Amino acid sequence: MSRFLPKSLLGQTLFAIGVALLTTQLISATLLYRAAESRLEANLLNRTALALLVDPEARELRRRIEIEAAGQAMGPIRGPWRRIRTRISATPPIMRGEANMTGRAEQLASILESQGLRPVAVQLTERRAGDDPAMQARADRNTRFAARPGWADERLIVAGIQLEQGGPWRITRVSMLQREPRVIGGIIIQTAVLFIVLMTVLFFFLRRITQPLARLTDRMSDFSKRPDYSVTLEESGPADTRRLIAAHNVMETRIAALLDEKDVMLGAIGHDLKTPLAALRVRIESVPDDVQRLRMADSIEDITATLDDILTLARVGRSHHAWEDVDLGALAGSIVDEFEDLGRPVTMTGSARVVASVQVTWMKRALRNLVSNAVRYGDSAEVVVLMEAGQAILRVDDHGPGIPSDRISDMMEPFTRGEASRNRATGGAGLGLTLARAIAQQHGGELALKTRDEGGLRAEIRIPLAK
Amino acid sequence: MSNDTPISVLLVDDEPTLREPLAEYLTGQGFAVTEAQSAAAARSALASAAPDIALLDIMMPGEDGLSLCRHLVETRKLPVIFLTARSEPTDRIVGLELGADDYVVKPFEPRELVARIRTVLRRVARGPSPDAEAEDWLYEFEGWQLDPLKRKLCDPEGVTVPVSTAEFRLLRAFLDRPRAVLDRDQLLDMVQGRTAHLFDRAVDNQVSRLRRKIEADTRNPQFIQTVRGGGYRFAADVRRKVPDRPQ
Repeated sequence: MSRFLPKSLLGQTLFAIGVALLTTQLISATLLYRAAESRLEANLLNRTALALLVDPEARELRRRIEIEAAGQAMGPIRGPWRRIRTRISATPPIMRGEANMTGRAEQLASILESQGLRPVAVQLTERRAGDDPAMQARADRNTRFAARPGWADERLIVAGIQLEQGGPWRITRVSMLQREPRVIGGIIIQTAVLFIVLMTVLFFFLRRITQPLARLTDRMSDFSKRPDYSVTLEESGPADTRRLIAAHNVMETRIAALLDEKDVMLGAIGHDLKTPLAALRVRIESVPDDVQRLRMADSIEDITATLDDILTLARVGRSHHAWEDVDLGALAGSIVDEFEDLGRPVTMTGSARVVASVQVTWMKRALRNLVSNAVRYGDSAEVVVLMEAGQAILRVDDHGPGIPSDRISDMMEPFTRGEASRNRATGGAGLGLTLARAIAQQHGGELALKTRDEGGLRAEIRIPLAK
Repeated sequence: MSNDTPISVLLVDDEPTLREPLAEYLTGQGFAVTEAQSAAAARSALASAAPDIALLDIMMPGEDGLSLCRHLVETRKLPVIFLTARSEPTDRIVGLELGADDYVVKPFEPRELVARIRTVLRRVARGPSPDAEAEDWLYEFEGWQLDPLKRKLCDPEGVTVPVSTAEFRLLRAFLDRPRAVLDRDQLLDMVQGRTAHLFDRAVDNQVSRLRRKIEADTRNPQFIQTVRGGGYRFAADVRRKVPDRPQ
């Protein structure tokens, strides 16, 4: 269920306000509905009472007098008088099987009493028009009435009063069909209008807050990928958001300055160490003993390689290399070719096309480190590039002793080397895996090492695929 | 350039610890070396000397090697090799964009430096190849793009396909002569460049590596076709396009 709920600030706020609005509208609709119901009830009883107050015989008598006074011949009663719903009857209004609605009957009695009428008995019930003998009789007489669709299902209040003990009943029928029109409809329309207006206003208002936040988030998440830190993020939105962006800009500038300092420092270190190394490399050319000279050259190469590793490691995460969508198969292929050219037992299998956004120089370096480790400690390397679970995987398998599982995380720390390489001949400063891991992380991925069940180490760089 | 007059080299580096032994070594190898410890010193040395080639350090106090390089290339058409402590490819691109002919990364093997000096001078002596003027265009074939300056190959979907130096040179040799039949010796000759030792493997091997990268089906190649009787032919139309490179 919770995964259908909105996640964003905008969505959650709108959702919460929507729910609150709906709840209040529901409550007020209920209250309005109940008020309307009780008003209808009172109205119904009043109409019933009004009909019962008039003595139908007296009314008819007065009508006759009026007609005679006008000098007209007395004919049969026509017109509206036919519809008189109050009748005199010897039998009580409640038929067999019906219950007297005593609550309503008492209310009716009290209304009548306030008008000076004190009946000895009051009966009141609700009935389908079709079940009512009087209405049935009317339908029998009047075909037009009978043809009215649904008349038989209308509900009637049938009420009667007895003015003296054992006397006749005065009975009336009142239609219950008198809804106040569109009480619910009105509330629905009102709610809809409120919803639309409120949500629109809120949406635009909240977006003023969330858009700058989204920009800030984007900016922070590709901080390491940005080549240029001089353009700061524009401050926009309400004051709180502006302050957040301003604070972020200050922090970013500070970090950029630190990184710049680091770059300058590393450049200086590199320059200052490599120049004397270069001088040394030139000077040893005058050493007459070939063996000695080659050993010196090797040592200088060793120092240079270590220095390069250290400088590179310090620079990971801060490089001006472009990010490109790269065919990783071709990238791995060129590394494999390099080793092949040197006569190393490195092979590549599979040729699935895997494209990821990488910094080519760095990724080559990471893979080169893994392959050279595999060749050094594992006799040979097999390189595979594959796609798995939305990730691009550069896999290097070797046939060496592997690494005990409790040593794997140590191996990725700087200046750690496997047992096999204690002697200096196999070389390396122990930065290869550290560097590979740092590069994988810079690409939003990871370096995974494990000893395969069939023996040998499996090293994998896993990075996200290109979008 | 005849063999009896020594090749004269202008060596510009602010570090005497490197400059002096290097000058000594180069002299020992038969070069005539003029030393300068700064760009300004190099400019004044040029007033009296006419070197065949300049070796420039990039990071120097005052005017740096890049600026001096621009001056040398523009006014003297002097071949330039950079001596750089950095190995970042951006430096290489900047250097080559300025018209430098090659670069070596410190600490370099002195023999390699000598080899490169000779290679550059040999190339200059051959006269400017049509491509050496400016490499500021892109090759296009069937949607593929090769940027000679950045040595970057992109497939029709814009995905970078990394190529080695040898593969790059081989492909470029093909792209410069589309539809022409090139035999193995010609290819070897054309792709032998600054680092000849990189290309001591058989041409066929490099061709098959290149095919793996650009052909959809390596057994039925569409681009690099084998010609009966020895040799290869690039069988697609190649266009040159001026890129919109930010200056």
